[in-house]
Amino acid sequence: MPELLKRVPELTVLIVLTIAAYAIMGLFSEVSGTEVITPFAAWAIIVGSFVISLLIAIISVLGGVGGGVIFTPIMLGFTSADTLIVRSTGLVVAMFSGLVSSGPFMRNGLADIRLVFFCAIPIIVGAMAGSQFAISMAENMGETGDAIVRLTLGIVLVFIAVMFIMGGSKTEYPTPKRIDIISRKMNLKSRYWEESLNKTVEYHTTRALLGGALFFVVGFTGGFFGLGGGWAVVPVLNLVMAVPLKVSAASSGVLLAIGNAAAIWPYIVKGALIGVFAAPWMIGQVIGGILGAHILAKIKAAFVRNILIVLLFLTSIKLIARGVESLFGIDIPLV
Amino acid sequence: MTHMIHGPHENQGESFEDKPEVPLSGIIYGDIIYWGTIIATLVVIAGSIMSFVSRRSYIDPVYLLTSVWQGKTVEDIWKDAVGDQPDGHWYLWQLSNDTGLTVAGIALGIFSVIPGIIGAAVYMFKEKQILFGGLAAIAALITIYATIA
Repeated sequence: MPELLKRVPELTVLIVLTIAAYAIMGLFSEVSGTEVITPFAAWAIIVGSFVISLLIAIISVLGGVGGGVIFTPIMLGFTSADTLIVRSTGLVVAMFSGLVSSGPFMRNGLADIRLVFFCAIPIIVGAMAGSQFAISMAENMGETGDAIVRLTLGIVLVFIAVMFIMGGSKTEYPTPKRIDIISRKMNLKSRYWEESLNKTVEYHTTRALLGGALFFVVGFTGGFFGLGGGWAVVPVLNLVMAVPLKVSAASSGVLLAIGNAAAIWPYIVKGALIGVFAAPWMIGQVIGGILGAHILAKIKAAFVRNILIVLLFLTSIKLIARGVESLFGIDIPLV
Repeated sequence: MTHMIHGPHENQGESFEDKPEVPLSGIIYGDIIYWGTIIATLVVIAGSIMSFVSRRSYIDPVYLLTSVWQGKTVEDIWKDAVGDQPDGHWYLWQLSNDTGLTVAGIALGIFSVIPGIIGAAVYMFKEKQILFGGLAAIAALITIYATIA
């Protein structure tokens, strides 16, 4: 850790300033409480959110998913917070670790800039459509819309958890049987330095059209639910388009940042991004994203993925129960 | 003519390889976003301090946290606090207070994607990668549309 702080001085600056900021906020607080939250409780919620966001960022980088897939379902399943506020903050959680990791991933050549721009357009368009649909649904359908969001998100989570379980079939260096004509015409091939092998790895992507269509769907669900889309980007790149696993993981973060950057604006202009609530989550993602990227090599990613699978299944049960309760007016006794 | 070998390999007749050159367009894209995000984080930290230390917040932070906790809708939170739900880039006119500054900081980090993509597109055109430079330019235009629409 001390060596990392020396090597990345901007990380040190961010950590020191954040600790100082929370100390100043605690010691020189001028806010007054409400009947529900005291000034100290408000400060504790902010510091607690930062710490949880930091952990989510590290786990999501290690697990190869955006943080939104952890944050949004838990907040929707276990709190009463408005779904628009949760989803807008979920996009912040989903995108900021990807934004900050774009620099190191591009510098070490792991993220493929040409592949990113090929996949970016369908994911941006899908994300914009998803977020606009979410806003209009909230405006027109009220509580019924909220219940539908919780129920469908619960079902989507079961699907994501199953995808993680099936994720063992991923290959580090997939070899496509044939290259489709679009990938060939676009010359969608590249190479990168594989540190663990001390060799250059070359690859040629395939199924460009199918990949593009799937990225539209990934963008839509990410924008609509505020999940991001990291859970699906890596499988599409690796299993469908035959991109090496490391390049898929690195390009995924960069792609998510671009897609979510388009998706979040409709939420911001409608005032659904509440600054004091979202700020600690954003700061935690930036610091955790840098930390996670540097400790990635030392941790067993499979362990983190197993935790994610359990988390997703448990949260999906709660979300489905809450959705059914609201839609059909029945009571399902769950914690 | 390049001979493609899929998967890890060694260059023929060489025991030590040179690392492949990283495209300048990628480095420019990554660096703009990386530093944009870090500057944005500093702005958000400043906004957070103001929200607790300043005596005159635009919207009381504890009221906001209470409202979120109680499950108030976005519309109700804004109506009860300032009378109207915002529309458009409201935070640009509220930069002198905590609420606007914090959201502006987050928006700055998100906005850094646009100069990043434009910078990458320019260098892709310079590197004669017309197709991908064009795709990057389209991505930048769509993202700009999403920002201002």
